[in-house]
Amino acid sequence: MSVIWAIIRKDFQMEFRTKDSVTAMWIFSLLIFVIFNFTFEVSRLLMLQISPGLLWVAFIFSGMLGLNRSFQVEKENGNLRSLALTPADPGLIYFGKFFSTTLFTLIFEALIFPLFIIFYDIHLSLLTLWIIPIAILGTIGFTSLGTILSAVAIHTKQQQILLSLLLWPMITPIIIWSVKTTGDVLAGDLSTAFQPVIIRMIVFDVIFTTISYLLFEYVVQE
Amino acid sequence: MMEQVPAVITAEKLRKEFGRVVALRGVSFQVPASTFFTIFGRNGAGKSTLLSIISGMAAASSGVIRVFGEDPAARTQRHRLSVISHESFLYDNLTALENLEFYGKLYSVQDLKERTHHVLRQVGLHHRRFDLVRTFSRGMLQRLTIARAILHNPDLFLLDEPFTGLDQHATEMLIGLLETLKAQGKTILLTTHDLHIGLRLSDQYMILERQQVVETGSASGLTEDALREKYFSLISSGEAGQ
Repeated sequence: MSVIWAIIRKDFQMEFRTKDSVTAMWIFSLLIFVIFNFTFEVSRLLMLQISPGLLWVAFIFSGMLGLNRSFQVEKENGNLRSLALTPADPGLIYFGKFFSTTLFTLIFEALIFPLFIIFYDIHLSLLTLWIIPIAILGTIGFTSLGTILSAVAIHTKQQQILLSLLLWPMITPIIIWSVKTTGDVLAGDLSTAFQPVIIRMIVFDVIFTTISYLLFEYVVQE
Repeated sequence: MMEQVPAVITAEKLRKEFGRVVALRGVSFQVPASTFFTIFGRNGAGKSTLLSIISGMAAASSGVIRVFGEDPAARTQRHRLSVISHESFLYDNLTALENLEFYGKLYSVQDLKERTHHVLRQVGLHHRRFDLVRTFSRGMLQRLTIARAILHNPDLFLLDEPFTGLDQHATEMLIGLLETLKAQGKTILLTTHDLHIGLRLSDQYMILERQQVVETGSASGLTEDALREKYFSLISSGEAGQ
């Protein structure tokens, strides 16, 4: 556990010091909310239909910025190689980076969610609390794959392009499920399809987190 | 009868291929304990690939490699070795102390607080321990890199062109630190194309040319001129054979 905690602590220390990721993510999310809010003059009903997609666009695109930054610092001075050279289990190093990225993304999502409520005039109810587990499941799906694919892409010159090319097709199912369930919650109508989708999201997260944990050792080797 | 010094590193017929590119061709050598062993060779001779295999970061395509009697890929001896290269392996936006504390936790260093302060004093950076690494000069960075490398008190140091980009002052400082490690009986494997520095520090040497060993020997009593003559004749004969 000390290895995981050391990596989380290190990543947060650096982020709070530089605020590199959070600034870029904040501006990006704000832009998305502002542009879409003032571009489309649609009915409340239609807005309710498109707003879950907008929320997840903000979550995932700003999450990509955070993910890129998180691994850029591991590339700068050969740090990922130095981590791999330590006696620490590579799986624990994976979990350290995975938890730090996930926590950071979730905190950021919690900060921008109030903006989303304001811009899109979302009515709150007890059902809205369902957004929390949906955000956690969606974010875990995104960061579990994002962490290992960032470690793959870090060895290449076109790191960001390669990461996007590898990551987007793989996270498409979890994004679709996240948008769908978020839409159900915001509409206040948990349809019969809601629970099976949540179960699918859990299964997706467990499968890809486990695979990534097992493969990380081979990814960091030269 | 002379006592046989156990080998810390044993390589037998190591071969490494990246697709069609051959990076090592049947490299065999031994590094005895408490020896400063230098591998000379031009860029592309296979020095860094060899170090990657010894450190367990890359697997050989064929052949046998043993470090402290174990396969380095098994990771069981990682706590006994340290790698220093021209990359610092440090985080620019952490302080010197935070960097060492972080690596200390990954190496499960006992009495970490005392140990970090001790190594920072050893490299003369204790007064800068709360400063961010990004404010350090190249020489200070290299000293902190050494501090990181000695933090877990390893028995074997693998140095991959560590003098690259260092000015004269920083080079002399690094040489001084390496001489201290050598005096402490540590085993050191250095790769370099700098014959002057390599010979000054070495007990034994090996020359890699065209991805294979073309010369091994003792550095004791060998002059720089003699080594230089030998080195360039081996390289030119290699080029003639191409």
